[in-house]
Amino acid sequence: MRKGMLEYCILLLLHREPSYASDIILKLKEAKLIVVEGTLYPLLTRLKNDELLSYEWVESTQGPPRKYYRLTAQGEDFLAELESAWDELSDTVNHLRYKLLTTTQS
Amino acid sequence: MKKTLTINLGGTVYHIDEDAYILLDNYLNNLRYHFRKHEGADEIVHDMEDRIAELFNEYLHEGHQVVTIREVEAVIARMGKPEDLNDDQEEGETASERTADADPSETATRRLFRDPDDRILGGVASGWAAYLGWDPTWVRLAFILIGLFFHGFIFIYLIAWIIMPLARTATEKLQMRGEPVNVDSIGKAVTDGFERVNESIRSEKTQSVLHQLASGFARFIGGVLKIILVIIAICLVPCLLGALVVLFALALAAVGVLASVPAIFYHIMPYVDWEALGSMSGPAITFALCGLMVVALPVIGLLQLLMQSFGRQTPMSTWTKVLLILLWLIAAGYMMYSVFHTSLFLFPENTFLINN
Repeated sequence: MRKGMLEYCILLLLHREPSYASDIILKLKEAKLIVVEGTLYPLLTRLKNDELLSYEWVESTQGPPRKYYRLTAQGEDFLAELESAWDELSDTVNHLRYKLLTTTQS
Repeated sequence: MKKTLTINLGGTVYHIDEDAYILLDNYLNNLRYHFRKHEGADEIVHDMEDRIAELFNEYLHEGHQVVTIREVEAVIARMGKPEDLNDDQEEGETASERTADADPSETATRRLFRDPDDRILGGVASGWAAYLGWDPTWVRLAFILIGLFFHGFIFIYLIAWIIMPLARTATEKLQMRGEPVNVDSIGKAVTDGFERVNESIRSEKTQSVLHQLASGFARFIGGVLKIILVIIAICLVPCLLGALVVLFALALAAVGVLASVPAIFYHIMPYVDWEALGSMSGPAITFALCGLMVVALPVIGLLQLLMQSFGRQTPMSTWTKVLLILLWLIAAGYMMYSVFHTSLFLFPENTFLINN
């Protein structure tokens, strides 16, 4: 469940703007989604192998060039699918919670 | 004062303390081993190396020139121990493996591994020593003595060497020593792995004279055996390959001869007792197949070993090894039996000469 979320969030972040792995880490850490940074790399490699992501080597201001990840068209499609699935899920949960709330209140 | 090394990490040169280097090397090896079954394992570890380089840069901007063990520890804490990095893709076999591994974490049962940190030949003796909780030196001496009086033991040792897996990860090393496997102990094993080596070097100085003599003796015998083994292995490779070709040809020939000869000869010489020849074909084919297996299995084993040493192949499971060894023993036993029983099986044509 958590891993699936993580995947979704990575795609979401990259949809908003292409970025370096370290930027993704920073944002995920801000959101308290990951504890250890190493978790990200197997996921990125897998998403890349599934052709949802692509990367190019981009020079950075300091140090050697780094991988700059972006979503592929396939990745965008997959993200849209995930999004609708997520909406459906949250609707279901919200509905249940709301119903539960009203029944306990009444 | 500490010795420093120069390393190239992610395309940048770093000066790193020797102890910090050992720790980092250990960590990266553990990562590599952890991800060995993943698709793109090299890439994952490579990306992580790049990230570690970035983190070093961050730390070194604070005015230090040399990466010390403190930085490496901080980096490992940030990146996470290999055991923390479970990807959800590893389901099925690995998942069951993990649950199987998780169970002994409570009871801390020992498992039999070969010890890579303390080995003279294959680490079999030290593995047993760790399993039994004895001193490796005495186990080695016992092995040598048994080997002197009972020569078959050498064969048993070789089989044990093949079957017993090497303790590669921190988890396996802990299980080998019978220490409980949990997050703390794994962390300790990863970070203290190099200290253990230092300890063993230091402790050698304080050992008794008798102990030193014994371990020196074991080391000497081990060295001699190693040289002999290497020589045998080098001699065997071409022989095995040659024999494989010959036996394969033999198997084909046996099948071909048995299939075609009767048909031709039946028309020419219908008076020959073909029943006898027919009864020979089964054993002859079996014999050729057994021969094929006797030669092919070691060749496969050697190839597998070669691939493994280049890191292209994951090691075989223990049960596969046991099965293959059993198969080899059966095949070898059958061959010996038939050679002693009769030499005619190899040349089924001769039987018809005799029957004539």
